Amino acid sequence: MSVPTPAVSTPAEGDSPAPSTAPPPADPSSNVAQGERLVLEYLRSRGFKTAEQAFLSSIEAGTEGKDKESAAPSSSNTVTSEELVKNIAVFASKPNKPAENALSESSSVVSELGTMGNPANIQNLIASISSLGAEEVLRLDPTDKQEGFKELEAWVDGSLDMYRPEFRPILFPIFCHFYLDLIQQGFKEAALRFFSEYSGSLAPVHNPTLHHLSALLLPTHVEKDELAQRFRNEKYTVRMSRSGVDLLVGWLTEGMGGEAPGSGEGFSGEKGKRGRLAVMRVVNNHLKFDVTASPSTSVSATSWEESTGLLSSLIPQSSGSSVGDAHTFNLSKGELKLGPAPISEELRAETERQLREHAMMDRDPAAQYDAYIRPATIPGVVSPTFSDLLPHPPSFRTVDVRREVEKVRDARKRIRLEPSALANAANPGQALAARARALPSVCAYTLHDVGEGVPCCSFSQDSSLMAAGFAESYIRLWSLKGEKLKGYRSDFQPSSIHNTASLRKVREKGGSTTRKLIGHSGPVYSVSFDPVGGSATPPRYLLSSSADATTRLWSLDTMTNVVAYRGHQNPVWDVQWSPMGIYFATASRDRTARLWSTDRTSALRVYAGHLSDVDCVRFHPNSLYLATGSSDRTARLWDVQRGSCVRVFIGHQGVVSTIAFSPDGRYLASAGEDLAINLWDLGSGKRIKKMTGHTASIYSLAFSGESSLLVSGSADWTVRCWDVKAAGGLPSKVKENGVNGVTTNGDTHSEGPSHRESESNNETTDLLSTFPTKRTPIINVQFTPRNLCLVAGPYLNPEIR
Amino acid sequence: MSKQKARTPSNQLTGIYKSESIRDVAESLNITNLSDSVASALASDVEYRIHQVVEEAARFMRHARRTTLTTSDIDQALRVLNIEPLYGHFPHNPPTFRRALPFPQFPTAGTVYFVEDEEIDFDRVLREEKITLPKGVSWNAHWLAVEGVQPLIPENPPAIPKDVDVEMNGRSPGRPGSSTFPSADRPSSSSAGKKQPQQLVKQVLSRELQLYYTRLTTALLPTGTPDDAKRVAALVSLRNDAGLQALLPYLVRWVGEGVVNALKGGVQSESEAKTLGVLLDVIGAILDNNTLFVEPYLHQLLPPVLSTLLHSTLPPSHAAHLRTTASQILSHLLTQHSTTYPSLSPRIMKTLLLALISDGKSKGTREGAIRGLMGVGKEAIRKGLVEGGGAKVVGNELTMGETGSIVDSVMAAFQVLHPASSTPVPLDKNSQDDSDVVAQLRDTLGDFFARKLLHDGAWARGVITGSQEESP
Repeated sequence: MSVPTPAVSTPAEGDSPAPSTAPPPADPSSNVAQGERLVLEYLRSRGFKTAEQAFLSSIEAGTEGKDKESAAPSSSNTVTSEELVKNIAVFASKPNKPAENALSESSSVVSELGTMGNPANIQNLIASISSLGAEEVLRLDPTDKQEGFKELEAWVDGSLDMYRPEFRPILFPIFCHFYLDLIQQGFKEAALRFFSEYSGSLAPVHNPTLHHLSALLLPTHVEKDELAQRFRNEKYTVRMSRSGVDLLVGWLTEGMGGEAPGSGEGFSGEKGKRGRLAVMRVVNNHLKFDVTASPSTSVSATSWEESTGLLSSLIPQSSGSSVGDAHTFNLSKGELKLGPAPISEELRAETERQLREHAMMDRDPAAQYDAYIRPATIPGVVSPTFSDLLPHPPSFRTVDVRREVEKVRDARKRIRLEPSALANAANPGQALAARARALPSVCAYTLHDVGEGVPCCSFSQDSSLMAAGFAESYIRLWSLKGEKLKGYRSDFQPSSIHNTASLRKVREKGGSTTRKLIGHSGPVYSVSFDPVGGSATPPRYLLSSSADATTRLWSLDTMTNVVAYRGHQNPVWDVQWSPMGIYFATASRDRTARLWSTDRTSALRVYAGHLSDVDCVRFHPNSLYLATGSSDRTARLWDVQRGSCVRVFIGHQGVVSTIAFSPDGRYLASAGEDLAINLWDLGSGKRIKKMTGHTASIYSLAFSGESSLLVSGSADWTVRCWDVKAAGGLPSKVKENGVNGVTTNGDTHSEGPSHRESESNNETTDLLSTFPTKRTPIINVQFTPRNLCLVAGPYLNPEIR
Repeated sequence: MSKQKARTPSNQLTGIYKSESIRDVAESLNITNLSDSVASALASDVEYRIHQVVEEAARFMRHARRTTLTTSDIDQALRVLNIEPLYGHFPHNPPTFRRALPFPQFPTAGTVYFVEDEEIDFDRVLREEKITLPKGVSWNAHWLAVEGVQPLIPENPPAIPKDVDVEMNGRSPGRPGSSTFPSADRPSSSSAGKKQPQQLVKQVLSRELQLYYTRLTTALLPTGTPDDAKRVAALVSLRNDAGLQALLPYLVRWVGEGVVNALKGGVQSESEAKTLGVLLDVIGAILDNNTLFVEPYLHQLLPPVLSTLLHSTLPPSHAAHLRTTASQILSHLLTQHSTTYPSLSPRIMKTLLLALISDGKSKGTREGAIRGLMGVGKEAIRKGLVEGGGAKVVGNELTMGETGSIVDSVMAAFQVLHPASSTPVPLDKNSQDDSDVVAQLRDTLGDFFARKLLHDGAWARGVITGSQEESP
């Protein structure tokens, strides 16, 4: 950008519309104070509140730091009338006056912009003129916003390819603020026109937000609406490279700097200038630039997702210090203990003894008892100690031993899935073999005639039971082994029970392989089998959560409801057992997640911090942490015991609908309504990659036993397999050419669907395979301990609806 | 409904709720002087509230793992927003909106929709309607993928070739040298996937056979083209070539349909007669081909043959030829297959006898039946013409001294039964012996044919005695 301000005025001078309507400057040789007064008067009469404010602060700055702003024309003592005219023009279009020198060293722009306009005396001054100002504002022509946005969009589109992905994100907040401004000022018609005209290009990415905003039609709505208030009160963070900021500021001040030829004409006129001013007002008041040192070419096309948005409220404010971005917050929270949970020595010894016995009995030389390998510790991953775990009973039970033994057997018999082998296979024959090794076998359970809907479905770890929660408020249990599910009769005397034989006598007669559990009074949104038995024994308990705000514990011995946990005030979206049983976590519409223990009816911990519904909750495999996904488009990791947020994952552009931990405890996968699956590194809190390809909401995610493969089930009636270890990225043929690659990717995100060539563009290279089903949205995806993939979904009859 | 793609915000989304609606509501509440600004402000507010409810309902929809918003979602949303829910709307029978007839007196009213409120007569419902309980929820399991390959079972959708392409696009850049991979990867699935939609027509036909089939049928028909060489070549190929078994059902069906079409037209024209001839040739060729296993299709082959044979009105120029050919085919068919298909000849006999003896059949049919009997064999002729009284029936329908193909065919049949003597000795009416024969002749064959045989005593005796030998 070319700095010296007077030079700016060439367009302004050409027809100098602003000054011509202003009262003529009376005394050209007057001192500064008079000139300033005139300027102020002019600005006030034109309603340029911001400019006025900026001007005032510039005077302050000028008097305070003359040495610093030696070149600033406002600080010169004598001005000719012509110069004054120029200055006015400049001020009118450029309220961030004090920064103009600083703008040359762009790194300080942000701080300058941030500090500007805050001094108390200016606030007072504004307050004193506000009544007048408001009227002026109302008289403002609403078209300046249209004009401004049009120019801005033209400028962004006309900018160099390497900058375009960087500039694109600023369109959205400016659009939102313009719309909100228009609504708040009562220009409903203009707002609607503005919306219909310019929302198109933003729709593909920001559709949910745009849709929400489009519903706001009256000033009161803007005042009441939560999202609108967040836009108003928080700074929208935009990440930009230094040169990008330079260019933007240059354009804002001079109307130059990369716009397409011919598109800048509007700026020579009054209209264009006012439009630009409107843009600048938003930029100054509501945008915060997060300037990166890295050159724009090295920024990947999707990285803006992580650092753009109304971030300040999403990031928990710890101990008063405000942390600007997610990364710094995650760093400040220190290291996590992501290693596997310890096993008590007694249990380990007993398990080893049992394994040895089994090996002897099986006469299987391969099945060495020492196959009970202690989980290999991965360097850099800290394993928790006993004191870190949630309190558990000190002694172990038979079921624990059986579970551990079975775990070892499973580990030995597990089908190894190695997607990495696919990459190395050179010839087709090898590839076929590698494919068989890399990809899982998927067994699909299709539910028929589900009626109203089946919001959830789950398989027990030993694959003996399947439970499904229905919209009709009941849970149905199926035995997958064909065994009859029997409860107990209700007419027996407890005193008559002495031993297992007499207990067996009071079991129900008959029975079938399916069973209905009735107790909830609203749709059942989640079911979870207790994990204590592992894959050795069938589970004994089932948890379910429902729209009736309760979570219920069902005994699978008696087939009855045992406890109803009340505490949430709103529908409970998700429930999940802790990996060792006893504890469980719930996620609710009331914006909290809670930790419960089965023996208490009130919550042990409340995890509050999400700005919207908590949609899903999962335990870390070592049960130290809890991950939640929310409608505020973030996922968070909580310390279970302390109840504090330790990681925040920002990057989704839609509601986070489901999450999954990798069994090795190092990664978190989250899927959102933006149809993307993000893979996060828990340790650093950074996004590893973004996987796209689904064409409808993703309902469920599951990692394979080795954490090498991710399977997702979706409403687009497909199951997809993703390579966790692969680099991913969009398959642009110009990938090696950084500039073009970024461009195409940027377009995919910012332009309308019609601009895309096809859906396949969208699939990242780490998508290994897609298994379509017949009209069956996949609501649950699970891996058995031996790496067989089980999926479930209801068949949608095309005739109904 | 995939929300992300399908919905693009446009100005349709805003200002759906018109201020006129507000005014209508106001009027219904007896507020007539509602100002414009109030109405439009209220409309905006109503719209905002509706959006609020819908947005909330969308959450319930999402969590119910559905992609269609239902009334129950709205219900739940109202509940959590602490608004009294709307009663009477059930997702089980979603209301159907009907369009009202336009009001001619208010052209500006626009389209009016209303919910149809059906009147239910309890008496009728209680009497007539059986309330069926819905079949409860059930599940079945199938392999969606086995080691990464999707098996081609009915539970899985047919593989879409595009998917393979997509995978190819998705993969190849990241993996140099594996360009052949996706195609080698599931060749069976992709090729089978292409064929799946045609499954009903040609299940297992290879491309080559399909091609052969079309070539063959076009070479054989229509007969209008004078390309006889081609036709002959086709028939030769059909007669001798091996490996056509897979085509057999299609050929049989083709022939059957062809015959039906030709006969339906009444077979007045030459060309149709020719078509029939060709089709009979095709049947003959099929039967001649040793490599074909025809037996399962015999029941399908017989109708065309018999229809041709017994059809009442074949064009006179071709009638004899067609019937002869058909009877030859019949004879061929019987000699080949009657051993393995014991019920075959009785069935054919029954059909033929019925055609020969029963009343109201045309001469053509009778002639065909006789020729058919000739094709079946000596015994059949005897049974039909002599013992069954076929000759008598035919003779009675003929006027004395009449000649024609039917007479010829009967005489030919008699020839088969017993060869006419080279030096015919007429029966002597005076001889007691001979007059007995004559009486018998008249009795069994009727006047017409008795007269025809009178001139050859030996022949007549042969015809009669044969029958006498059989009759006891």
